[in-house]
Amino acid sequence: MDPELINDCVHCGFCLPSCPTYVLWGEEMDSPRGRIHLMKQHVEGTPVTDEMAGHFDACLGCMACVTACPSGVRYDRLIEQTRAVVEREHVREPADRALRELVFQLFPHPRRLRAMRVPLRLSAGLRRRIAPRLERVNPSLAAMADLAPDPVKRVRLPRRVEAVGRRRATVGMLTGCVQGEFFPQVNAATARVLAMEGCDVVIPPSQGCCGALSLHSGRPGQARRFARRTIAAFDRAGVDTIVVNAAGCGSTMKEYADLLDGVWAERAREIRTVDLAEYLAELGPVARRHPLPLTVAYHDACHLAHAQGVRSQPRELLTAIPDLELREIAESAICCGSAGTYNLFQPEAARELGDRKAERVLATGADLLVSANPGCTMQITSAIRRSGAAPIPVAHTAQVLDASIRGLGRVA
Amino acid sequence: MATPQETGPDAPQETGARARHGAGARDALSATGVTVRDAGPGDAVAGVMPRWVALPESTEEVAALMRVSAGHDLAVVPAGGGTRLHWGTPPERCDLLIDTCCLNEILEHASGDLVVRVQAGVTMDALAEALAAQNQELALDVPLAGSTVGGTLATAAAGPRRLRYGTARDLLIGLTVVLADGTVARSGGKVVKNVAGYDLGKLFTGSYGTLGIITEAVFRLHPIPRARHWVTAVLPSAPPAALSAGPSTSPGAVAAALAASQAEPSAVELDWLAPAGTFTVSALVEGVAAESRAGAVRDLLAGAAEAVPDVTGGGEAPGWWGVTPGEDVLLELRVPPSGVDGALRAIAARGLPARVRGSLASAVLQIALPPESAGTEPTELAKLPEIPEIPQLAEVAEVAAFVSGLRGDVAPLGGRLTVLTAPPELARLVDLWGPVGALPLMRRVKERFDPDRRMSPGRMAGGI
Amino acid sequence: MTETLDELARGLAGVLPPGAVITDPVRLRTYECDGLTHHRAVPGIVVLPESAEQIAAVVRLCNEYGVPFVARGAGTGLSGGALPRADGVLVVTAKMRRILQVDLADRRAVVEPGVTNLAITEAVREHGYYYAPDPSSQQVCTIGGNVAENSGGAHCLKYGFTVNHVLALEIVTPDGDIVTLDADDPGYDLLGAFVGSEGTLGITTKVTVRLSRAPETVTTLLAAFGSIEQGGQAVSAIIGAGVVPAAIEMMDALAIAAAEAAVACGYPAGAGAVLIVELDGPAAEVAHQFAEVERICRDNGAFELRTAAGPQERAAVWKGRRSAFAAVGRISPAYIVQDGVVPRTALPDVLASIDRLSAEYGIRVANVFHAGDGNLHPLVLFDDAEPGAEERAGLVSGRILDLCVEHGGSITGEHGVGVDKSRYMPKMFTDDDLDTMQLVRCAFDPRGLSNPGKVFPTPRLCGEVPGVRRGVHPLVESGRAEQF
Ligand SMILES: Cc1cc2nc3c(=O)[nH]c(=O)nc-3n(C[C@H](O)[C@H](O)[C@H](O)COP(=O)(O)OP(=O)(O)OC[C@H]3O[C@@H](n4cnc5c(N)ncnc54)[C@H](O)[C@@H]3O)c2cc1C
Ligand SMILES: Cc1cc2nc3c(=O)[nH]c(=O)nc-3n(C[C@H](O)[C@H](O)[C@H](O)COP(=O)(O)OP(=O)(O)OC[C@H]3O[C@@H](n4cnc5c(N)ncnc54)[C@H](O)[C@@H]3O)c2cc1C
Ligand code: SF4
Ligand code: SF4
Repeated sequence: MDPELINDCVHCGFCLPSCPTYVLWGEEMDSPRGRIHLMKQHVEGTPVTDEMAGHFDACLGCMACVTACPSGVRYDRLIEQTRAVVEREHVREPADRALRELVFQLFPHPRRLRAMRVPLRLSAGLRRRIAPRLERVNPSLAAMADLAPDPVKRVRLPRRVEAVGRRRATVGMLTGCVQGEFFPQVNAATARVLAMEGCDVVIPPSQGCCGALSLHSGRPGQARRFARRTIAAFDRAGVDTIVVNAAGCGSTMKEYADLLDGVWAERAREIRTVDLAEYLAELGPVARRHPLPLTVAYHDACHLAHAQGVRSQPRELLTAIPDLELREIAESAICCGSAGTYNLFQPEAARELGDRKAERVLATGADLLVSANPGCTMQITSAIRRSGAAPIPVAHTAQVLDASIRGLGRVA
Repeated sequence: MATPQETGPDAPQETGARARHGAGARDALSATGVTVRDAGPGDAVAGVMPRWVALPESTEEVAALMRVSAGHDLAVVPAGGGTRLHWGTPPERCDLLIDTCCLNEILEHASGDLVVRVQAGVTMDALAEALAAQNQELALDVPLAGSTVGGTLATAAAGPRRLRYGTARDLLIGLTVVLADGTVARSGGKVVKNVAGYDLGKLFTGSYGTLGIITEAVFRLHPIPRARHWVTAVLPSAPPAALSAGPSTSPGAVAAALAASQAEPSAVELDWLAPAGTFTVSALVEGVAAESRAGAVRDLLAGAAEAVPDVTGGGEAPGWWGVTPGEDVLLELRVPPSGVDGALRAIAARGLPARVRGSLASAVLQIALPPESAGTEPTELAKLPEIPEIPQLAEVAEVAAFVSGLRGDVAPLGGRLTVLTAPPELARLVDLWGPVGALPLMRRVKERFDPDRRMSPGRMAGGI
Repeated sequence: MTETLDELARGLAGVLPPGAVITDPVRLRTYECDGLTHHRAVPGIVVLPESAEQIAAVVRLCNEYGVPFVARGAGTGLSGGALPRADGVLVVTAKMRRILQVDLADRRAVVEPGVTNLAITEAVREHGYYYAPDPSSQQVCTIGGNVAENSGGAHCLKYGFTVNHVLALEIVTPDGDIVTLDADDPGYDLLGAFVGSEGTLGITTKVTVRLSRAPETVTTLLAAFGSIEQGGQAVSAIIGAGVVPAAIEMMDALAIAAAEAAVACGYPAGAGAVLIVELDGPAAEVAHQFAEVERICRDNGAFELRTAAGPQERAAVWKGRRSAFAAVGRISPAYIVQDGVVPRTALPDVLASIDRLSAEYGIRVANVFHAGDGNLHPLVLFDDAEPGAEERAGLVSGRILDLCVEHGGSITGEHGVGVDKSRYMPKMFTDDDLDTMQLVRCAFDPRGLSNPGKVFPTPRLCGEVPGVRRGVHPLVESGRAEQF
């Protein structure tokens, strides 16, 4: 934990109202200012206690505090360093340890995740029935079962998708582990939209997890391994721009150069990572948009809005679609509680935040919820399901654009 | 008339007697160098006759008088213009009347800072005149000719423009007071923004001379608006129809519409002869564009009024504007704005003839019983040797029933009713102030500031 | 933890919901300071009550054990007002953040003390209303803290401070009673005296605020001047012309640089000072005043004038100003935020003197201030790594307050006295003035348990205050009251 970074905090508290855990509990030590204070205590010699670790673990890493901070405090760096220290120095409860192992052995590995999906492939009804029982045994497993979206057919993407019409650029595309497994249709839409906007899209099959989940959970070693593999895969494919449609992956990949060192950092700097919306807004449209008569609520994924500062671009892309009406969700800066593995490790808090978000999403009365992050999509859908309200369809920005450009008249 | 010796149950008998009997007190007062004279019949405070009247010219002189009073256990009542000295409860005892008439200097008018520092005995009219020379004003409507800065603060008096500018407490930024023991204390300052220390100024507004004597005050000022226009309208129907039928033409609805209007009136006043008269509503608009804004107010009122509302410019307010509706029995009613119609309905339902007047949009109304007394020249009245008998008031009991009944009616609306002035017989029948939640705390404040109960004892709520 | 606190903590757990009593040392330490970080004290106990009744129960228990208590809202105070007591209880209102009632017909709202200032406006904005006092910290500071500090903001030039917008308060008195102070109460204006008392007269548990109608028109003008003197003259001329803008804010070159670094506010390049003048009200009035202000700015040497068209541009203009405090962190490793007031007409003089001080001590001073009411916020910059710099900065900061007092101003315009400025109180007030204020304090809190050690420079016994009971107060004699 870098004392310089800690000292940048002037204790003004401007970050408090944007912090989801502070919003929930109103306690200083579960606010960004309080967590930075805890870091300071540690730097000044206080060992990591159970309580301290608990407050760091409760941080969603949503980075809303980074956006809110007028002093430019790099909380993102700080919490990353802190998580590593906690993993290193703090001995967790056995049950907690086991769960963390399970998740880290599972999620970053597409193939293992695929195998895991079988037991999760329960019918909605069955899931509802076993959920309360799971809840009693282990809230985290319940959360996992609760979150897993209904299984969809696997989509195999080609190695290369040719640009439609005049080629304007060649880009690589990250498929992502969760996105690829649970939302393959989003990847398909992303590739199509890019192609229709004049891009050759290169999709290296050897790519795996980008390392985001590991990094956000204090496992920088594992994260670095994944990062190097990802860089190598895209290098080999010969692209210098990677378009990412999952917010969490994008924010991590943009930081590769800081995560790695030496020659790998150099290689990381030579590759540009951009979010899909960011890229499309910058590129400018060539494909014609067909009307989509829909009201759409756009959800700011933390890793997009706060970590990457991408807020206006997706809204611009959506409002450019004829007949589409965009509605803002109240408290849009507050995290939905998904935050990577958060809903697995802090199920109660995640659930409260999810319910809060669901309530505000439903209040917009929109036909469709648009979210650019698979974690958020799972989290909000399951919260709405829990609330007993009629489910609201959720789509990725890419899917909405895809539907409009292809003139489907509705989002597939 | 009760003699001071017989009242004041808490007065320590021995010392009190010694002080009052000996000529020592009188000599000591004179020794301060301040003009002191024996009190005459015109000096009575709500019927209680002081023994001496002192006419200090500075804060230091007031302090000297108060130190002597402390030493001789003299009860002291401050007086300003004496315009409303007879209002409120009579003091339990009164040895010395401190007349602030000679504290009459405007000490500093920093026009560039929109601030004025004045002595407490300066009359509001004299102050207004001086400020007007620099095209500025203290945006506190002068209640009565002859009333002083100190008296206005001590009674927390305010007029129609409270809607836009607030009341005395909102315009006061600094205060100098002399406490019962002669301590001179200042709070606030000469700048409009200041949060250093407790705001004693607030504490002394509405203190009726029971905490100490105000000797100097500093106010924030406003530029005199370039133009003023009044829009006056008579609402079409009289109660009960006006208060039940078309809700958009009730006084409350009209006030709400005006208060929310972007024409931003500075005041919205009501004049009404209860129980059956029609309602007259008048709004004041101030500013460079007052004329066009008055037009907007007129259009708004036209929808609710009987005939096309009357617009008057150039300072011609309706005759009743800002004038106290009566002098014999005067009540003050405050409700949350949405409760105005309900309160008027309750007044009408009581059936007693009354003149109701005051700030409709701020929902602070004065009620005079009986209505005929409206328009008497109050300053002269106060100077009369005795409070005149009130022949019209045949049934004090009837008024008492009105007060307690109305108090009960408005309580559910969040309203409260206080008696500003009334003949002593009424005071025996009803509580003049009504329930005050913070009374125990006020008592504790009084105990700290004036432990010997020598400052206007008994003049405030709860016998403070 | 001492035995008394141990016992008290157990008692508190009995009257509060589970988890609302914090005694873990690591957790407690996160509450050791407010926005003024160089005053620190780890609280003995922290409690997070959820209702007035719970606060009253806490206060009564504190009375029983003779333990002092300190209220805390969001902890953004800049005078150490919420500095805890190691031997006391910190009562945090962060969980009391319900808006209990919004009553547009009565133009008022009733809220719990932990509700943020901005949340009130957000709750009524769509109906065309807002809550007028707007401290720069409005997104985070609580209404309870605002009441305690009598907070103001940029727009208090025209609309006044917290005290002008609070209609009633429910408080828990220092002996644990729940009392309502109402602006409509006849008699002493206790409501007015309580506002700004910095938590020393009790704890606010409910606030009724006035809601204001959003003005028909708002026009925001950004004027760039070559020098801060020119800007100051423009301010005087505007006020002198009889225009009362909603706000007049000024920033000097250094403050502009900081804001630029933090939020890229895009103020005119090369400006020695910028003035933000906001006019609001009926369109016809604003149009007239705008022309006047524009002319005055030009006459006083403004080289660039920008008018914000629409809410977005207005927000952009304000962004730089609002972020200025915290943004200074980008141009200096450390800094002191000062808060003092001078009469408007003394602004040019005082600013020139600050310049001289800055040169004399070799300490940079960035100026951001509410020019319309002469409220200065000099940011005294220093490098805490440089030996002696902090002391010199402290001296400069103190000398600035002297300047304010010399010019007939105040040592604080909105941040309060707290623990930080209590030693400056004697510069502004005589012993008699302070003793008189103590009378109020003793009336509310004879045992001195509510936020002791703040506001007043010298600890005193309530019985000791001259002019009141001579001799020892019975409570002191019996050993039940302490010094404060
Ligand atoms: C209860 C009450 C409520 C009133 N409300 C309103 C109102 O809402 N609107 C309105 O227009 N008028 C109101 N008035 C009437 C009138 O406006 C004021 O009484 C008048 O301004 C007082 O000025 P004066 O100089 O004549 O004071 P006086 O009539 O001489 O004294 C009035 C009161 O103030 C005290 N007092 C006077 N000078 C000082 C001083 N220097 N220091 C301390 N105490 C002092 C006196 O002891 C006495 O209690 C009210 C009067 C009273 C008594
Ligand atoms: C960047 C920044 C900008 C600021 N800008 C402004 C500004 O423009 N204008 C301005 O006026 N202030 C400003 N402030 C100061 C601060 O925000 C205000 O003083 C605010 O009112 C404090 O609110 P809080 O909830 O943080 O209170 P805290 O800091 O928690 O407490 C402040 C004081 O209030 C007391 N208190 C808190 N709650 C209660 C309660 N319920 N009952 C009784 N006492 C209580 C505390 O004991 C303490 O004395 C700024 C602060 C920062 C950090
Ligand atoms: S990252 Fe999110 S949860 Fe963590 S401290 Fe910042 S705002 Fe709070
Ligand atoms: S906003 Fe930034 S400087 Fe302020 S408390 Fe939060 S992290 Fe610290």
